[in-house]
Amino acid sequence: MTIQLQREGRWLALVTILCLALAACTGETGASAAGPSSAPASEEASVEPEPDELLVLEWAGYEAEDFWVEFAEANADTQVDFEFGANDADILAQMQAGSQADIFHFYTGWQQFYVDEGLVREIDTSKLANWDKVPDEMKALGQVNGKQYYVPWDWGFTSILYNTDHVAEVTSWDALFNEEYAGHISMWDDGPAAVTVSAYINGWDETAITDEQLAQIEADWIEQKPLNLHYWDSEYENLCPEVISGDIWVAYAWQGCYATALYEGVPVAYANPEEGRNSWVGLYGISATSDSPELALEFLDAKLGEMSCGNAVTLFYYGCANADVMAAIDDETLIEAFAINDPGVLETTNFTPPVTAEQRDAWTAMWTRVKAE
Amino acid sequence: MLGRRAFLRVLALPPYLWLAALLVAPIVLVVLISLRPEPGPVDFGDPWNPSLIQYWRILETPAYLRQLGISALMALIVALAATVLAYPLAYFLAFRAGDRASLYLVLLLVPFAVSFLLRVMAWRLMLGQEGALNTLLQSVGLTDEPLDLLLYSREAVVLTLIYVWVPFAALPIYAAMGRIDRRQLEAAADLGAGPWTRFVGVTLPLSLPGAVAALFMVFIPTVGEYVTPRLVGGSETYMYGQLIQDFFGRAASWATGGAAAVIMLVLTAVLILAGTLAVRTRVAT
Repeated sequence: MTIQLQREGRWLALVTILCLALAACTGETGASAAGPSSAPASEEASVEPEPDELLVLEWAGYEAEDFWVEFAEANADTQVDFEFGANDADILAQMQAGSQADIFHFYTGWQQFYVDEGLVREIDTSKLANWDKVPDEMKALGQVNGKQYYVPWDWGFTSILYNTDHVAEVTSWDALFNEEYAGHISMWDDGPAAVTVSAYINGWDETAITDEQLAQIEADWIEQKPLNLHYWDSEYENLCPEVISGDIWVAYAWQGCYATALYEGVPVAYANPEEGRNSWVGLYGISATSDSPELALEFLDAKLGEMSCGNAVTLFYYGCANADVMAAIDDETLIEAFAINDPGVLETTNFTPPVTAEQRDAWTAMWTRVKAE
Repeated sequence: MLGRRAFLRVLALPPYLWLAALLVAPIVLVVLISLRPEPGPVDFGDPWNPSLIQYWRILETPAYLRQLGISALMALIVALAATVLAYPLAYFLAFRAGDRASLYLVLLLVPFAVSFLLRVMAWRLMLGQEGALNTLLQSVGLTDEPLDLLLYSREAVVLTLIYVWVPFAALPIYAAMGRIDRRQLEAAADLGAGPWTRFVGVTLPLSLPGAVAALFMVFIPTVGEYVTPRLVGGSETYMYGQLIQDFFGRAASWATGGAAAVIMLVLTAVLILAGTLAVRTRVAT
């Protein structure tokens, strides 16, 4: 009887597996079934009452209510849940795989993919009360094919953060390759970032990297590998603590860590490389398959409010798209971190350009090989 | 009313379904994903055109294969060290602890009450430049300045993993020793065997299955480990598990990640099979 039971059990298990596998291979996800949508968020609202809940696909840390405080106060009964992506590729992958998120958050360079794959719906900016406070340059970063698909929110610089006790003035991105600081350098664990840095150093156009240039970039970063203490992947988990402790002297860093280190009294400086700093902007999109587009729009408008934006500045030391909030900054450390008193910095800053899917895949694969080497 | 046979079938159904849905089906799914020609995230609505190109992408890249070899070697070192260190622990519990064995067993399992992540993070505090070990070495005058190699190195990963796995490895060895018929030891003593001879001739061979089980129990998860090297490994210590994670996450190349995972699964299975056969052969002879 035991043998028969085992045999029948095996059949049951096999049937279950086959059913699951078949469903996985032939089924259609909500995202793929919905197809592209360019309808403004507001047009599809009035047919049925929207669910009183939102799901936001976010980066860890941004779920704190401090960053959507106006919405929370105005919608006390609305349930806001968060799912997390580890990076831009992960967030795109989750949306492609049919995430049920109403809102997703990503950074400049990745705007085109969501539009091309019909994952995002157009924003009706007339419904955003705070839209006038957003600088035109940032609004433009949220546009694809002449349409506004994204709401810009957080922004900042990328440059070389260095400890002035151990490092003389840094004037170029090549400080990351300086053997003098071996064991005390930290590069961000990101392929496109590595390509950007190499393009700056070599004077190449980062939007037109050739195969030969990419091979050179790969060789350079493999050679640079032993100089790192580690590659960091979380600014506040494994970059800032070690900048503050003095273990990291030279790092690819955002200005948030610079401000954090300054507040901690660490002797650090944030370079103005001759090649120019880099700048990035965080963008929010509303999913094409969202059941709550109006609520999502309200959420994004509230995020542009003074309290939410102000908290991004004072808690994360990130810039925010509300120009009134940025203009009101009077803290000396933050003024220094955002280079508010030095307009020349912005004039030489390189804004992150869009990348193609092929570039994204090739650069990420290159970085995987660098790490595996 | 259900007969005895039908009743047993009903009882057996939930575990079979559980295993099928949560263990076997995900593996089948990963294999299916790995056979997709496009590396990107999977859209299950796409037509099904199986291909081995993702396997080729892994196998044609020497750096990936080297990482697989290094990870397997590191896992073997960790498994051997954890088993060797766990063995006397289990021996003490089985033969020397007496009535307090249960208490000591609970104490052995106390680390499991703390999250794996926290236990690994604790080693960052131990091994850091201003950590406990460096402070100790400097205070006793063995070093003049903090040693860089303690943290963010391959050694740190191995050390941390050994620490994490020792209590876990002790359990199957302790269970095997608990099953040893004490009369066999008494018989050996009656025949004039000393403590060492009794250990080598009776205890060791009879506890070997437990030690082998411990070895495999540590080896299998360590090959695919990615949390520990990420936290204490540094840029020079990249393990195959991180490669798989990077394919699924950073690169959004699910199919390539699936192929990498299947290759690791096959390699691990082959190594375990070879190990099992070697042990059986040795026991038989």
